[in-house]
Amino acid sequence: MSLYSRKLFINKRKRALKKLLVGLSLFLFGALIFYGVVLLGHGFLPYALLHHPLFPVSIMSLVALAAYKPLDMLYTEIFRRYLFKQRSYVHIMLMNLAEDLELVLDQQEMANMVVNTFGELLQLKTVALLVHEKECDHFRIVAAYGWNLSDYRRVEFSSEAPLMKLIRESGPHVVSRNRVVRTWDWKDANMLAHDFDVLQASWVVPLMVGDEITGALAFSAVNRDRVFDETEFQFFRKFAHAIARKVRNATLFLHLKQANEKLQDTQSKLMQVTRIKAIEQLATGLAHQIHNPLTIISGKAQVLLLQKDRVPLDERVLTVLKTIVEQTKRAADITKKLLMFSQGPDVPREPLHLESILEDTVALISYQTSLEQIEIKQTLHTGLPVVIANRQEMREVFFNLLLNAVQSIGSKGWIHIEMKHDAQEQQIEISIADSGKGIEPENIEKLFNPFFTTRDEALGLGLFVTKQIIHRSGGFIRAESRLGEGSLFTLRLPCEQEDAGKTGTTPPSNSKISQKSIRKAGLIFED
Amino acid sequence: MKKMLVVDDESEICDFLKSFFEERDFDVSMAHSGEEAVLAVERLRPDVVLLDIHMPGMGGLNALRQIKEKYKRARVIMVTAIETNEKIDEAMRLGADNYITKPLSLEYLEREVQEKVASLSRKMS
Repeated sequence: MSLYSRKLFINKRKRALKKLLVGLSLFLFGALIFYGVVLLGHGFLPYALLHHPLFPVSIMSLVALAAYKPLDMLYTEIFRRYLFKQRSYVHIMLMNLAEDLELVLDQQEMANMVVNTFGELLQLKTVALLVHEKECDHFRIVAAYGWNLSDYRRVEFSSEAPLMKLIRESGPHVVSRNRVVRTWDWKDANMLAHDFDVLQASWVVPLMVGDEITGALAFSAVNRDRVFDETEFQFFRKFAHAIARKVRNATLFLHLKQANEKLQDTQSKLMQVTRIKAIEQLATGLAHQIHNPLTIISGKAQVLLLQKDRVPLDERVLTVLKTIVEQTKRAADITKKLLMFSQGPDVPREPLHLESILEDTVALISYQTSLEQIEIKQTLHTGLPVVIANRQEMREVFFNLLLNAVQSIGSKGWIHIEMKHDAQEQQIEISIADSGKGIEPENIEKLFNPFFTTRDEALGLGLFVTKQIIHRSGGFIRAESRLGEGSLFTLRLPCEQEDAGKTGTTPPSNSKISQKSIRKAGLIFED
Repeated sequence: MKKMLVVDDESEICDFLKSFFEERDFDVSMAHSGEEAVLAVERLRPDVVLLDIHMPGMGGLNALRQIKEKYKRARVIMVTAIETNEKIDEAMRLGADNYITKPLSLEYLEREVQEKVASLSRKMS
């Protein structure tokens, strides 16, 4: 940026200097002519004319009119000679850049540096850096200067495109649009011109490593008539040669990184699947082994509780029996919860309005609460499209997330729930933020693991089951947190195409966004 | 008096179910495997069968198939430790009348049993 403004500044100064010099020269030249006319015309021009005050003015005006253009051109030419010095400065800068690229490994960063510096120093209109993608044998623009951001991302060339063929045939030379279109006696001349147009370029310099074309630099000037001379073309070749290997290395590095990420992703998915399978087996075994004794304990207690025609039991015994029945049910719920996700693919799914489910869950939480001062703020966009999922599961998801938030806050704080539609991705995004104590950075990754918990009394299955449900419904969930400030859970679920409003389980609302009132409540919870 | 057959490999489970339903005027017999259950059904012709799905030997589903073949009138309520959908679906396809999961809620079970018995007597009359 600073380079660019400096260039502008230099140019302005240069133009002013030129104007001044032209003006001075015109004045001197006019004065000389006038002097000559007075000297030569002393005998035969009338005295009155020679001494008329308008005479020198008109002579000088005539001279100025006649000599302005040639003088201006003369000075421009002289300045161009000076400009030669300037050009070498540009060249030095660009070659320095090429050297600096040695230290850059990130392809995008490198490409941006190349196109921006190249474009700014040479004051070009557009610059685009194409890179050869070996995998699909395509050329793709990775960075562009003077382009619309979304435009260049779409540009892709097959290596069989006429322009690329031409480059392959012509070697490392600069290809100029004008020259090619004018002189190329080829049936594909039109297609070549088209390729240049797509690249918004007048010149293309191939980046070559040995015989291999690894990319190309395509650029155009602001002024359509701008021409580069042979020395400049030679410099472009030199520059292209200097950066070609570096660009290729960065591309290779990027591919390596991508492949590595893919591998890690697959590996972690596999790990996850294996882990889930193991838990599933464990839970099934547990259910069989534990549910029978639980059934016996609970059954016998119930027999006593529900006995007829016998002596009524002592009140204390009744309480104990009731506790036995309740607690065996609680124990059985653990394995049921664990089994919930193993049965996932079979649960019935239906189109759901998440906002109404969320409201039900919020009501459930606020009912449970009694004293803690926790504000629940909701920003729900109404008329959201439906999501295909299981109602019970979605309730479980919201309940788990809200309960977590509440437990993280303890007392006094806020929970902010926002739900919106991302039309581009066809997804519903739900974010639940809280002002709780936050999550330690090293725990964020483990958050969704089974049996991970930071509270003694908790089971550590809530977020695990939540994640499984979200994944099964084709969505994903992410957690962010700052220790001491709070946490943010964001989940995204794929939604159906617009048919919201027809199946109206959402309460009608006039305003687009309904700010739900705030509930102050206290919370008693179990996990 | 209505006749009931309780089938579970855990004899303790059979025991408390027996005492519970005997208090409610059922004639309760017990079987501890699928094979025993099939024989008992032939012999006793019970109105209601409580049948555990997960049992060693022929298992609950096979027993159900044979019970339904031998004595169609019996109302069968499946008892399961896990609500694995395929097994429940299979049982319902084979003619089971309902299912209940362990640990059992006796109140709920009693309601179910009474309902099945009532539907039987409606059919009779």
